[in-house]
Amino acid sequence: MSTQHPIVRPGAQVHFGVFFQGVNHTTIWSDPESGSQTEFASFERVARTAERGLFDAFFLGEGLRLRESRGLLHDLDVVGRPDAITQLAALAAVTERIGLVATQNTTYNDPADLARRLQSLDVLSGGRAAWNVVTTDNAWTGANFRRGGYLDHADRYERAAAVLATARRIWDAFPDAGTPGTVARVTASAADLRTPLDAVIDPTTPRSPQGHPVIFQAGDSPAGRDFAAANADVIFSAHGSVLTDALDFAADVRRRVVAAGRPEDDLKIFPGTSIIVGDTPDEAEERARWVRTQQVTPATALSIVGNIWGEDLSAYDPDGPLPAHDPVVEELGGERGSATTGARTREIAQRWRAIAETEGLSIRQLVIRNSGERGFVGTPGSVAEDLTRWVRTGAVDGFNISPWIVPSGLDDIVDRVVPELQERGAYRTAYEGTTLREHVGLREPLPWRTERRDEPRESGARAGAGQEGEAAESAA
Amino acid sequence: MTIPFFVGLDVDGAGAHPAAATASGQAPADLLSGARLARSVRQAENAGVTFVTFTDALLPAVTGHASSGRLDAVTRAAFVARTTTAIGLVPQVPTTYPEPFHVAAQLASLDHAAAGRGGWLAGVTRTPETAAAYGRAAVDDVEREARDVVQVVRDLWDTWEDDAVIRDVATGRYVDRDRIHYPRFEGASFSVTGPLITPRPPQGQLVVLAAAGDVAPGSREPLVDVALVGGTGAADATAAALESRARPAGSALGTAGPDTSQRGTAQASDARAVDGRAPRAGVEVEVVLDADGRRAADRLRDLDAATPGGVRSPWGAPAPSGTSPLRYVGDGAGLVALLTSLAASGVDGVRLLPAVLDTDLRALVREVLPALRAARVVVPPRPGATLRETLGLPRPANRYARVA
Ligand SMILES: Cc1cc2nc3c(=O)[nH]c(=O)nc-3n(C[C@H](O)[C@H](O)[C@H](O)COP(=O)(O)O)c2cc1C
Repeated sequence: MSTQHPIVRPGAQVHFGVFFQGVNHTTIWSDPESGSQTEFASFERVARTAERGLFDAFFLGEGLRLRESRGLLHDLDVVGRPDAITQLAALAAVTERIGLVATQNTTYNDPADLARRLQSLDVLSGGRAAWNVVTTDNAWTGANFRRGGYLDHADRYERAAAVLATARRIWDAFPDAGTPGTVARVTASAADLRTPLDAVIDPTTPRSPQGHPVIFQAGDSPAGRDFAAANADVIFSAHGSVLTDALDFAADVRRRVVAAGRPEDDLKIFPGTSIIVGDTPDEAEERARWVRTQQVTPATALSIVGNIWGEDLSAYDPDGPLPAHDPVVEELGGERGSATTGARTREIAQRWRAIAETEGLSIRQLVIRNSGERGFVGTPGSVAEDLTRWVRTGAVDGFNISPWIVPSGLDDIVDRVVPELQERGAYRTAYEGTTLREHVGLREPLPWRTERRDEPRESGARAGAGQEGEAAESAA
Repeated sequence: MTIPFFVGLDVDGAGAHPAAATASGQAPADLLSGARLARSVRQAENAGVTFVTFTDALLPAVTGHASSGRLDAVTRAAFVARTTTAIGLVPQVPTTYPEPFHVAAQLASLDHAAAGRGGWLAGVTRTPETAAAYGRAAVDDVEREARDVVQVVRDLWDTWEDDAVIRDVATGRYVDRDRIHYPRFEGASFSVTGPLITPRPPQGQLVVLAAAGDVAPGSREPLVDVALVGGTGAADATAAALESRARPAGSALGTAGPDTSQRGTAQASDARAVDGRAPRAGVEVEVVLDADGRRAADRLRDLDAATPGGVRSPWGAPAPSGTSPLRYVGDGAGLVALLTSLAASGVDGVRLLPAVLDTDLRALVREVLPALRAARVVVPPRPGATLRETLGLPRPANRYARVA
């Protein structure tokens, strides 16, 4: 790893969140040590371990339709998850400090209802809630909802900005605790929400110790980055494996934050990543290899390649070469997750074939290689060095760790990496505040938004389109 | 098998009376805090209450009043899921405007977190202002909408068979796709494809409660497990309860119709003792007790006098059928006598709506529940039991499972 990147934030601390994966193939469910992905006890154990490790936050993702491949339910991955806000409310009662981040999309939720549920979690948890704002627009998910697939892809960030602006007005409608006053009525215009009627809302949820939920955003297109730059407190990015890539991402995002009229450190960067440690560098590498082979089973490898080729490749030899013919479909369907929408399958296939031929890889080896450059591998000490460098070069503010096994997957990190970080003065030794806003080190609830609360932004929603196909597999 | 009389207790906010928040003198944030909520529900559990309900509505009781603060009911119920072990947790979730898919996932998640102690008080929303808050046109036939929503939520709970997660290492399959189903529901005003994102709840189906008449009869199955009725007096309420059990709420069964399996009234009236599948019927009782050295009637008079104008509250409000909750104002011994006589006349249980939660719960815990337990009218739920087990309701078979 290169060391020439200057240290620009010498005293900066590493922050951790944990992403309890929902639908995904990276949690090794086949291992004898793997527990239930459904039972509450698994979630509780991960959340408590993270809290013992003084993490900022515990995250849950969202997906509102089960994935399919070519009309059949995808059956290889972990699938089946709780509603995030409900599950986090139960976790709020068995934890004391850790933040609780609920991923919720802005398309298939009504602002009055969503803002209320999020604020309810925030009040009950004593100011520990956050909303990870995602956008989804596909008709395939819409089939589970009253409005159906009503929103164009290009409009989803516009809707997101309007829903978020309305939520903020709802949260701000109550006088602060101890301050007398009445509750303001909130109106949202039809143009804001792209719904046939105006919304008129009389809020019921009081403010929490942190005011209202912290805003996270997960999305990577230019439009997504602009949305985060204008609206979010934290961006949950996918740039958590290669330092130069993370630095580029950070520079890009900070430019957008400044352009949105905010101080450049107003948006914190937390990429998703994974951490694998061993007693020696060799042992860690060996373990990382093992983890990747477990994650990419022969069936999973064929399924991932089959999705790009748009056909059932399960009769292929996973240890043999890629199909000799080109994919039969032009574009990926929406069902694999929104990050893949619009990706050109032939380009991906050609690129994959070139890599496989140059490096002499089988189907499974190629898939492992494609999903292999994620995260940190080493001894607890070397990983702590790397993480500290990432934060101090300004590439990130923290990391969102996805454990590869549930529920024991954080034990090594909390028991071995956190103490190494603490020894280096790069990690807190106690929670300093009680709210998530305090853990992350955010300013008081957002003076920058007060000025514009009455003019919902037009974000540059139409700017971003094509996404790399590979990203889809991690965006669960 | 005889099923014990159930005692449900509403634990919403400061209490069911619209002046409760003002009377309590507490700030909204304290009134609605997690610590206070957990304390109230724990007290109810320790006293042997069968289940607590969390009354809810999107709109405040009094527009613009900070004392009208209220948190989302499912979120409240989930918060106490792990601070309790025996008591049933029944949030009120309206059927009229929320997305049925979200409702199904939220309630299934509550049941997972509460290890099978979840219920659903399916409410209907008749205020046009709620439609405005959703930015939607007002639903004109709320009972029909309720029928469709309860139906699709039940369908969604069954979309995963109990053993859908197979974790078959040999083939690399985590789930058996043949055991996960698509309801493809077409209702009068919406459609849902499914399946649910959440595996089948521990109870298979959460216990569905609703005010009698709120959920229009479904054509496929009884939609309501526990019907709640009101009445102008104990005899009236008893008659209403027995009547609603003879004509199961939300069910076409028992009404004139093509179904030939309908039960006669005579059989249904003693169903509590003989048939685990009969719906339960409970009476809604507003309660004001002598407390803190003050007579109940005086407390109620003061509360009524302190009620702000323009209040939107279920307290004393007539149900669509025209019946208001039964009201009891008096000492604990009188309430014990009332509940004992309701139980003796065949009513399955009650849902108590305490005027001021902290005050009336104290009196209930000290004077009422111990006496009911001693008389074996009420049996506290067992730790680890599901709410269905506590209510003597069977765990439903999955509608999509192929019969082997
Ligand atoms: C790290 C990360 C995590 C994400 N998690 C979720 C999720 O849980 N649910 C979801 O619907 N989308 C999730 N997304 C998808 C994004 O919200 C977004 O829809 C997608 O990246 C496409 O938007 P974009 O064009 O702005 O990148 C995630 C994206 C990233 C980068």
